[in-house]
Amino acid sequence: MRTLALWLALGLGYASALTAQVQDFGKAYSFAERTPATKLESTIDTLLPSLVKVHGASGLATIEAFATGVIVSKQGHVLTLDQIMLQPERTRVVLYDGSVHQATLLPPDPKLGVRLLKIDPALVQGELRPLWPPAEIDAQFRSGQFVVSLGNCFRLAEFSEKVSATFGVVVGRANTALRYRMSDVKYDGDVILTDACNNPGHQGGGLFTLDGRWIGLNLRLLDSKETNTMLSAAIPTRDLLPYLDERIHGKARSEVATSKEKAWFGAVLFDQAGRQSPPAYVERVLAGSPAAQLGLRNDDMIVRLDDFSIRTCREFREILGKFAAGQKVKVTWKRGNEVLTGEVELQKEPTK
Amino acid sequence: MMLALLSVVGLFQDPIAAVRADESRRVEVVARCAPAVCSVMAMDAPGGGSGVVFDPRGYVLTNFHVVGSPDEGYRPPEPSLPAAELEAWRQENLPCGSAHYRNKKVGMPDGELYEAVVLGIDPGSDLAVLRLLPKCSGQTWPFCGLGDSDRLLVGETVFAMGNPFLLATDFTPTVTFGIVSGTHRYQEGQGQRVMVYPDCIQVDAPVNPGNSGGPLFNERGEVVGINGRISIGDRGRVNVGVGFAIASNQIANFLGDLLAGRHAEHGTLDMSAWFMSARSDGGEGSGPRQRGVYVQQMFKDSVAAKAGVGLGDEITRFDGNEVRSANQLATLVGVLPAGAWVTLWHRPAGDGGAFGDERRTLLQLSRLDTGSSQDGSGEDARLASRAERRLATQALLARWPAIEEKVAAVHWQRIAPDGSKVAVFAHGERLRLELPDRVLVRTADGQGFAREGDKVRELSADEAERVRREWLANTLAWPLAPATERLRDSVLLGGVHVHGAPALRFSLPGDGECEAWFFRDGTPAGFACRDPLRRARVEWHVRGDQVRVVVDGAIESGWSGSVRRTGPVDEAWFRREG
Repeated sequence: MRTLALWLALGLGYASALTAQVQDFGKAYSFAERTPATKLESTIDTLLPSLVKVHGASGLATIEAFATGVIVSKQGHVLTLDQIMLQPERTRVVLYDGSVHQATLLPPDPKLGVRLLKIDPALVQGELRPLWPPAEIDAQFRSGQFVVSLGNCFRLAEFSEKVSATFGVVVGRANTALRYRMSDVKYDGDVILTDACNNPGHQGGGLFTLDGRWIGLNLRLLDSKETNTMLSAAIPTRDLLPYLDERIHGKARSEVATSKEKAWFGAVLFDQAGRQSPPAYVERVLAGSPAAQLGLRNDDMIVRLDDFSIRTCREFREILGKFAAGQKVKVTWKRGNEVLTGEVELQKEPTK
Repeated sequence: MMLALLSVVGLFQDPIAAVRADESRRVEVVARCAPAVCSVMAMDAPGGGSGVVFDPRGYVLTNFHVVGSPDEGYRPPEPSLPAAELEAWRQENLPCGSAHYRNKKVGMPDGELYEAVVLGIDPGSDLAVLRLLPKCSGQTWPFCGLGDSDRLLVGETVFAMGNPFLLATDFTPTVTFGIVSGTHRYQEGQGQRVMVYPDCIQVDAPVNPGNSGGPLFNERGEVVGINGRISIGDRGRVNVGVGFAIASNQIANFLGDLLAGRHAEHGTLDMSAWFMSARSDGGEGSGPRQRGVYVQQMFKDSVAAKAGVGLGDEITRFDGNEVRSANQLATLVGVLPAGAWVTLWHRPAGDGGAFGDERRTLLQLSRLDTGSSQDGSGEDARLASRAERRLATQALLARWPAIEEKVAAVHWQRIAPDGSKVAVFAHGERLRLELPDRVLVRTADGQGFAREGDKVRELSADEAERVRREWLANTLAWPLAPATERLRDSVLLGGVHVHGAPALRFSLPGDGECEAWFFRDGTPAGFACRDPLRRARVEWHVRGDQVRVVVDGAIESGWSGSVRRTGPVDEAWFRREG
C-alpha cells in the first residue's frame, strides 16, 4: 500500500512538472486539472469524493446493473435506491479513488424505497467523506432554485473516473400520487422535481444546491406510460433521516405510520370480480360511517381522496390504505352530472 | 442573524445587477461566436449538420458523419487545356487519392450559402475539415479559434451552437447552455473502430440531431469541442441531457493532417484489450482490490511487445500521465496520431503476482486499422490538391505572430550521445556546422570549406549537400523574421507529434527530401531530411530544450540539451583562415 501511495505521489509530481513545461507551448495532452474557479466548479469538486458508483447483479437486459450511492457515515454506510440488482455477495461499491469494495446489504426501508449498503472502512485508503448529517436538515428547496445533480448516468464513469454532473432548477414539489401511473416508485411522499437531467444509472445519486447542501436522493427517471413524458425527481433528504438514524445510530423510529390504525370509510363499492377493476361506484353506505356522514348515496362515483385521483375500486382501496383512522380526508364524488365535495374524519372499523 | 444578513448583503450588493452582468456577458459571447457557426449540408443525403469556422480564411471543422462518404466515380471537372498544361493543372489541382467528394454546401449565419471543399477526414474519430470557396478574392470569415480543452472542469458553463433539426432556414445558429458533466470520457465506436470518441467532453447542454459538427464553446467563446453524439434513453434520437463533444486538444493533434488533406490515422499500441484487474491481497476475498491497469491481450509483433512489454504487466504511466483506468489509457492512446513517439512506464509481471521495478520504454504508435481506409491511405493519398495545401500553408502562416526582430545570427547547440557538442551558427545564406569530428562551413556564395583538426580543405560533394540541407531545413537555425518568407511556396505535408505536442510539416524546395517542422504558434519543432553523410533519413524532434533524433525510423538515444540563441554575427564563424 505504501509503495502504491508513493507511485501516486511520483506520478502526480511528474504530471505537474509536465504541465509547467507545457504551458510555454500551449497545447499538449494532460490529465492534470486546473483548480476550480467558480462556485459551481468548487461545489462539485468538493462533493464528488462523497459519491460512489454502485454495481450489482445483472443478467437481464432490462435491469441495469449500475447505480450511484452517497456515503453517509464514516463507518462505511452508503445510501442508495433499493433495487433488484442489489443482491447479497454481488454488490460492489467503487469509491472516488477507484477502489472497489464488497458491500453488505442492510435492510431496506420499504416505504422510502431506499437501502443502506456497508463497506469495511478499515479497507479504505484515507478517510471516507460522508455527507450525513447535512449542515441544515431543514434546508428548504424552493422552485426556481439552482441545483446540481450528480450520478453515474449510462455508466459513463468507471473506477476513478468522475460521475456525471447535470445542472438545472427545482421545478416544483409533487406528491407521488402520480405513482399510480408510473413504474416502480416505492416512495409515496413529496418529491423534488427538477429539470437537471436524470438518466439510467443516476438513481441513488445526490441532488445539491449550488453551495453544496444535499437536498435529495435521485429517484429513477419517472416515466408516464400514459403521456410518454419523463421527469427527474429526488426524495428530500430530510425524509431519509428516520431511516438513517435507525440503521446507522440505532435510534428507534418515532413514526406514526407503524402505530396507525387502519382507516374505515364505510362505503361498499360495486366491485365485480374481474380482470379490470370497475370505477368506484358506491353500492351501499353503512350507517354511522364517515361515508354516511358525508351524505354519500347509492350510485355515487368516488373520484378523489385528497389529492389522489381515483379511477377504480382497486385504486380506492390502495389510496385509503395510506390513511389512518382519525385523519381528515377530502372526498370528491360524482352524482349524475354534479361533482360534490366534502371533508370527513376517518374512523376505526367498528368491531362486530 | 443580523451579522449574517449584513455579510450576505456585502457579498452581493445588488444580486439583480450581478445576474444582469452575467447575462450581458453571456449575450456578448454568444453574439461574438454565432457568426462563425455554420450549417453543413452534404447535398446527397437528407438532413445536415453544423460546423464552425476556425480560421479566417474559411476553414471549417465538422463531423465526418456530416460530410458522408466519398462520391463513387466522381472526378472534379477539368478545364480544356493543351495536354501538357492539363497535366500540370492536374498535378496542382486534383487530389492525389482515389477518394473524391462532391462539393458540400455551407450556410453562414448572415444567410449566405457557400460551396465548400472537403479537405481532410478522420473517420476514426468523426472529424472533417472543409474550406469555404470565397465569393470574392481575399474574402475572410468571422471565426472562433480552438481553446484548451484540458482546462475544462466539471461544472464549468459551456454553450453548444448549431442547427438542430435544421430549424433555421436562414442558418442563424441555435444556442443551448449547460455545464460540463464529465471530462475525458471514452466512448466506443461503431463497428470497426470508426467513430470512436476517445476523449470527449460530456455536457448537459441540449444537443440534438443537426447539432452534429457544431462547436462547443467555453465561457470565453473559444471552441473547446465539436458536438458529435449523444447518449439516448429508450426514446429515440433526442436529447436526454447527455451530449458528447470531441475535445479540441484531440482535434489539434490531427489538424495538420486534416488541413493537408490526409486521411487522419490514429495510433495504437496493439494491445488489444486492457482491464483494471481485481487482484485482491488475499485471493478472491473481500479485501481491497489493488488498482491497476494490466495488459490482458497483445499481439506478439505489436510495438509494445517489441519494446519489452509483456502479458500481465502493469501499465503505470503514459506520456507523463499516471494511468488510473483502462478507459484513461484508451483515451491517452486514442487521441494520438499513428507514428507518434510515446513514453510508456510499466512494471513487468513476475511470479506469484509480484511485479518488477518500473521500466520506461519509448515506442512509436502503430496505425490503428479503422477498416475505413479503402479510399486511400498513406503519404500519397490525399483529398486535398497541392493548390489546396499551399493555401493551407498560407492560412497557417498568417496566424503566426509577426516578429519584428531584425535579422540576427542564430546559434543552436545540442549534446551528442558521446557527450560532444554539435552546433550550428547561421546568418543569412551562411552556415557553420560543428560536428564531433569536423566543421563544415557554407559561405554566402553557396560554396564552403571543411576543417578537420587544423586542416582546412574543400567540401566533398556529400559534405556540401549535408551543409546545404542543414541550411535549408534546420528550422532551429532559421533566422526568426523571414521564416514565413522561406515557406512562401511550401506545401503542407501533414502533422507530426513532437514531444507530446502537435506540429506541422512543410515541404521545402528541392528533391522533396527536406521538411521543415513548426508548432502552430510558429515555434520551430525540428526538421527532417536525408543526411548524405549518414546515408539515412534523420528527423530532429525539438521542443524547448528537449531533443530527440530518429534515424530511419529508430530512436537514436542519448541526444540532449537543445539550446537556441540569437545574437550578433561573429565573422570568425565563417572565416576560412585561423
